[in-house]
This record gives sequence, structure tokens and C-alpha cells, in this order.
Amino acid sequence: MRAVVLDGIVLGLGFGLLGVGLTLVYGLGGVLNLAYGEIAVFGAIVVSELMARDTPTLVAAGVGMLAAAALSVLLDLTLMRPVYRQSGEERTLLGLLLTLGLAFVIVGLLNWKYPTGTLYIFVGGDPISIAGVPMAAGSIWASLIALGVAGVLLVFFGLTTFGRAVRSVIQDETGARLVGISPSLVRTLIFALSGGLAGLVAVTRSMTAPLTVTSGFDLTTFALIVAVVGGLGSVAGAFLAGVLLGVVDNVSAHYIGEYITAIVLLAAAAITILVRPRGLLGR
Amino acid sequence: MTQPEPARPHLDGAAGTAGRLILPIAVTAAILVVLPHLWFADSPYTTGLAVEALVFGCYAVGFNLIFGSTNQLFLCVGALAGVGGYATAILSDKASLPLAVGVAIGTVSAAIVGGLLAWIAVRRSLNVIFTGIVTLVFSLAFTNFIIGQRDLTGADTGYVLEGAATKLADDRLGGYYLFAGLLVALLIVFRALQLSHLGWAFRALRDDEVAAELAGVDVARYRIYAAVVGSAMIGLTGGLFAYSLGFISPVTYGFAQVDVQVLIIVAFGGMGTLLGPVIGAAAFGFLDRALSDSGQLREAYYGAFVIAIFLFLRRGVVPTVGGLFERLVGSRRRAQRVESAAPGRSER
Repeated sequence: MRAVVLDGIVLGLGFGLLGVGLTLVYGLGGVLNLAYGEIAVFGAIVVSELMARDTPTLVAAGVGMLAAAALSVLLDLTLMRPVYRQSGEERTLLGLLLTLGLAFVIVGLLNWKYPTGTLYIFVGGDPISIAGVPMAAGSIWASLIALGVAGVLLVFFGLTTFGRAVRSVIQDETGARLVGISPSLVRTLIFALSGGLAGLVAVTRSMTAPLTVTSGFDLTTFALIVAVVGGLGSVAGAFLAGVLLGVVDNVSAHYIGEYITAIVLLAAAAITILVRPRGLLGR
Repeated sequence: MTQPEPARPHLDGAAGTAGRLILPIAVTAAILVVLPHLWFADSPYTTGLAVEALVFGCYAVGFNLIFGSTNQLFLCVGALAGVGGYATAILSDKASLPLAVGVAIGTVSAAIVGGLLAWIAVRRSLNVIFTGIVTLVFSLAFTNFIIGQRDLTGADTGYVLEGAATKLADDRLGGYYLFAGLLVALLIVFRALQLSHLGWAFRALRDDEVAAELAGVDVARYRIYAAVVGSAMIGLTGGLFAYSLGFISPVTYGFAQVDVQVLIIVAFGGMGTLLGPVIGAAAFGFLDRALSDSGQLREAYYGAFVIAIFLFLRRGVVPTVGGLFERLVGSRRRAQRVESAAPGRSER
């Protein structure tokens, strides 16, 4: 039981990291970025291409994250401009459709150029024992990175001036502008952060299982579910939801059976949304 | 449409109104009848694409009723069609019920599921995005359920409908006319709903939900009505599609394969308009054919096209063209109206 829950937490931290990049962009711009998973896959392909050319793994991972961040900023500076001119549901719908189109463009181009592109980062080392349960080194590293990111983001949004500026834009765009904060600058920076996180997700995921060119759609839908269950716009909520869903996933896979698990997981998400439409920690 | 018409519908004679309301459907039907003879009757490949475009047109009419008319983003068109499709397949094949009974049960099941989803969304007062996400979750769960029930559905390998395969799958043109007829029938239902008190309520709640509620429109009830009727349309189409294909798999009704396309078709054609789904489905049928030899890059071109249309045609083809038409013809009409009103005689 302990092993099952621990594995679930490891899985869940990964889910949380996946959801957090999406939730930030939604909280800020009211845009559900459906190209999010594809941006992660783009980062993964960059990393794998660099590694194939004998670049050290850490350098490759760093460049991959930067590439994903750059792609995300490009999205903000081009396609998202007409979206920001709309408001309310118009904005959400237009943002959804444009990023959906972009997702097709990215996956189409990657499929064409790198049809067999796969990223798998092998993390050596003996299993590490935690609370008497041996865990693979790759999972431990992936979890530590996710925890580290969660910590940094929480401190950043809670304590720094820029973090507060971001939160003010989330709460009230006009109000933020009145006190001298530029929403468009903040948005661009958050898009960069979100893209970088997508690249990081690609790296940490590939430490436990291979990531292929076609993984993007699953990444996006799962990020969406995690973000909504946690509460759109909430960093802590995304991680909390990720861990809860990860544990539900693993426990049900272990005790109920493999293929019902997906349904149990989706049902858990649906029930959370229905009982608490703002999400676990949403305002 | 060349003779001068009075500007406002309520000034028309009853026959004129009926004619104008039915005319778009009649024109669509006429085009659908002659199209194969003029163009693709001798090419099974193109006929197959046309059948697919018609099926998507039918899905889109149902989705348009749910999303376009009552603002409920149902991202489970594929799943609802799958409810109809698998019910039809399994009931007529394994339980050896007559096909019509299978299709009927499939249609009713889809209607019930759609109604339940709308009921939940209404009860929890979910907004557009949350309705979208709950129905998306339902879609994914449905696909997993189908894959899980291997003995009944054949999981990923798919399911061959023994009884149906010999009939329609080989007769492409027959399939074409089946779905052309279905599309016209669904358009008539859509138009009839628009003309009834439901249409009035739909317009009110789409323009401003709060105002509609205050004016005494039971928003919750009309949403559920729209979801039930729209889901029945989608389930019926899914069931007949299973029968005409002779083979179904989770991919036939997958989210990525059906919902994404239907959303784009309806948004492209014009949300809530009668002919929007038809024009959208036709446009994407042409696009499919045009992109069929571009191989690997097909998806990228497709995405670029989607981006382009939503950047430049935000409201969809029908409202944009309608707006242009109004501006061209409207100025002339206004001039006429001023002229006829000037001598001081009333307009009857």
C-alpha cells in the first residue's frame, strides 16, 4: 500500500508540473492554450536532437526548455494579439480555436520532420529507498524537480514584487494597468515561463517513460484536467490536484485494474469539477 | 431573390415567409441531389469523401443546436455518436434485432446521455468552459470504456458489422443519398425549432442569458431541450454511419477525430445559423480533398488554414456574408422604405 501511494505521489507531482504551466496562462490571459502539449513535445524533440549530437544532457535539457519558452513567447506576440483584443467568452473561444490550429501546425511539422522522434533520458544509479520502498532514481529526480519548481513558483508569486504584479493582473486587468503594471508585458513573461515549464515537463516525463512526437494531445488534455481540478490560475491547486489524481490513478490501477483506471481518474476529475466548479484551491 | 421584398418578415404574407424560410433548405437539397451526377458519381474515392462531409454536416447540425443555439460547449459529439453507433452495431449484430430498432435505441440512448449532461451542467450552473471540460472528460471516459469492453466492442481493433457490410459499404452512392437525406431532414427539424417558441427562447438566451431569465425564459429547460434534440441528431447520425461503414472502432468516434473537426466546421460556417454547418462541412470536405496528396504535411496545412480562417472570419461565413449582403441590399431597401413612408400612407 505504501509503495502504491508513494508511486502515486511521484506520478502526481509530474501531473502537477504539467498542469501548472497551463493554469498560469489561463489565469492571466483567459486563454486555454491547447498547443501546450505540442510546445512540450517541441522542447522534447529539441533535447533529443541535441543529445543525438553528443550534447551533454543537462545542456540539451536547458536549451530545450529555452526553445519551448521561445516558441511560447512567439505565440503570445503573434497569434494571441487579436485574442487579447476580445473579452470574456469571445476571448476564450477565439484563443481556444487559434491555439488548436497552432497545435495542428506544430504536430504536423514535427511529424513531417521527425516522424520517429522520441525523447528518453536515462537516469543511472541504484534505486533509492524512501520509507522502506525502493524507488527508481529517475522517478526520484523527476519528483525533486517538480517539488523544487512548486516551491520556487509559490515563493515567487507569494513574496516577490513581480509575482504580486502578476497576481494583480490575474485579479483585475484594468486595475493593474491603473497602478502602472503593463498587462501585456506580464503576459509575455508568463508565456515564457509557461513554455519553459512545458519544456521541463517534457524532460522530467522522459526520465520515467519515453515521450514521442504524438504525445502532445494527451499532455494537453491531462494538463487541462489537472488545471481545472486544481482551480484555474492556482499554482498550489495544480500541484495538489496533480498529487491527488496521481494517487487515485495508482491506487485504482493497483487494486481495481488497469483499464478501468482511466475511467476512475476521469470520474474523480469530473466529480471534483461538479462539486467544486472553481477547483480545489480556486478563488 | 431578385424581386423587391419588404424589409421586415412580419410584413410579409404567410406564403412569402414560408417560402423564404424553406428556400435555403430546398436549394441545399437540390444541390445535394444533382452534385454526384455533375461531379463525382464515377469516383468512389471522392464519393467516400462526400459521404464523410455529409456525416460531419449532420453532426454539426446537432452540435450547432446545442452550442450555437444555447451556448453549451458539448465536447462529446464523438462520444454521443459513439453511443448511437455502438448501440446500433451491437444490438443489430449480437442481439440480432432489426436495424431500425437498433438505430432507434441508439438514438434514444444518445439523447438521454446528452440530456443528462445538460441537466448536470444546468444544475451546477457550469459556464461554457466548464461545460466543455466536463463533456471532454466524458468523451475520454467513453473511449476508455469502449476499449475496456473488449469482448463486446473489439477494443482498438474495431468491430465489423456482419449484417451491414454487404449492403451500404459497397454502395457508396447509396450511402451518399442516405446522409444527404438525413442532412436535409435535420435542417428541416432545426428550422422548425427556430420557428417555434423554442427558437425565440434560444435567441433570447444566446443574446443575454440573464436578461432572458428575467424575461421569464426558463433557461435551464430550454438548454436541456436543445441538448436532447441535438444529441438525438448526433446519435442517429452515428448509428447510421456505423451501418454504412460496416466497421467501427474507437477512432471512428474519437475526440480528436470528430469533436475537433465539428467545432471548427460550426465556428467556420457561423454559430447558430441554419446553413453554417452545411457550408462548414462542405468547405472542410474540399479542404480534405485538396490536402489528400500533401502526405505528412497535411496536418500542418490544416492547422494553418484553421488559424487563417479564425483570424479573418471570426464570426463565420454565414454571418459575414449575410452582413455584407445586408449592407449592399439594405441600403437600397432603406431608400425604398423612406420613399414609401414619405407620402404618409401606413404600411398596412
